Amino acid sequence: MHHWQKILMMAALMLSGSLYADDDHEGDHHRQPNHTRVKAPAAWQAECGSCHMAYPPGMLPPAAWKKHMDTLRQHYGSNATLDAADEKAIRDFLQLASSENRQPVPTSKPGEPPRITDTRWFQHQHDEIAPAIWKRKSVGSAANCMACHHGAAQGDFDEDSVRIPR
Amino acid sequence: MRISLVSFSVLLGVLSLPAEANPALLSHYQQQALQENPGFSGFSAARGKLLYSRQSSASGKTMSCTSCHTADPRQPGKTPAFRELAPLAPSVTPTRFTDLKKVEKWFRRNCDDVYQRSCTAQEKGDFVSWILSVK
Ligand code: HEC
Ligand code: HEC
Ligand code: HEC
Repeated sequence: MHHWQKILMMAALMLSGSLYADDDHEGDHHRQPNHTRVKAPAAWQAECGSCHMAYPPGMLPPAAWKKHMDTLRQHYGSNATLDAADEKAIRDFLQLASSENRQPVPTSKPGEPPRITDTRWFQHQHDEIAPAIWKRKSVGSAANCMACHHGAAQGDFDEDSVRIPR
Repeated sequence: MRISLVSFSVLLGVLSLPAEANPALLSHYQQQALQENPGFSGFSAARGKLLYSRQSSASGKTMSCTSCHTADPRQPGKTPAFRELAPLAPSVTPTRFTDLKKVEKWFRRNCDDVYQRSCTAQEKGDFVSWILSVK
């Protein structure tokens, strides 16, 4: 991948804009992603960051986030329900901040909401990681971005700050 | 004058909250427990301790509070999504059990995770009595 493409993609992910690898829109590869940053409500970081890092909204399309928000009682085996005010603020934020992601909703296991780690772009970015590495005790699962991306909580997934733990 | 004195003491109260667990928590659960059961006869830290370590398979997985908070609540725990949790015991993490809304939210979620039901006010009060006593 060219350096400029990576920069574009990272900007897209961090600014919740369109993903660079949007195969259906050839022109999007060259278009500067939308830089309007949607301001996150405090509840998003506090609530969606309490069991894992608060995953950047641009990493899934709006329909995928809707499925998350509709199934918080059964969230990968955890009850992640919210009070009505936080629920609405987070739902609205995720819809708006992911609106430029036009990718298909990734298929997931029955009863589970869609995973970032099941998207094509994620699997493409991580295709050199052997299955045994994901299962290392120090990693746990692919969803544990922070195990390898030390700046992940701040939205930094740059390859320069990646270190796979032993 | 009276008003400013009152607001001054309210301010003091708010400022001193993070320092130690919220004493209003227990009276809140006591009032609720009395409503749930007119024969309510107080909270028991020993029962609270049992609640913490009791295994349940209600969810299909064998779980207990210790699954995430570890057997010793003075130690850091871990979520199923691998994020580290500050120790649950307020003697180690002073911000714990200071905020009724937060405590209620996690009782709602965690009792459902482990027991697939809500915890009663009796159980919550037992639990809080115990965790406050863990030094
Ligand atoms: C009570 C704990 C808890 C809370 C609160 C919580 N989650 Fe999760 N979440 C989990 C668990 C457990 C997983 C599965 C982790 C794994 O498989 O390793 C998960 C996984 C995810 C994934 C999929 C990660 C992947 O594999 O690609 C997304 C997306 C997600 N959560 C979004 C959210 C959002 C949005 C919120 C806030 C509304 C939220 N979560 C709040 C526990 C929680
Ligand atoms: C086991 C370690 C590991 C985990 C866990 C992990 N990644 Fe990665 N990630 C990597 C490696 C290694 C690369 C490749 C860096 C390179 O291109 O050399 C990478 C690349 C990326 C890239 C592209 C970065 C760039 O500059 O090209 C993104 C974006 C990314 N990961 C996001 C995530 C997200 C989001 C998660 C969690 C849902 C995650 N990763 C979990 C190891 C990991
Ligand atoms: C699946 C993992 C998990 C299990 C099992 C679990 N907890 Fe928790 N608990 C959490 C998480 C995550 C938090 C919130 C993050 C934090 O505050 O560190 C939390 C926070 C709490 C809080 C909030 C305390 C405060 O004031 O900060 C209480 C109370 C609590 N748990 C009680 C329990 C009880 C009682 C059980 C057993 C019935 C239990 N937990 C089982 C994950 C778990």
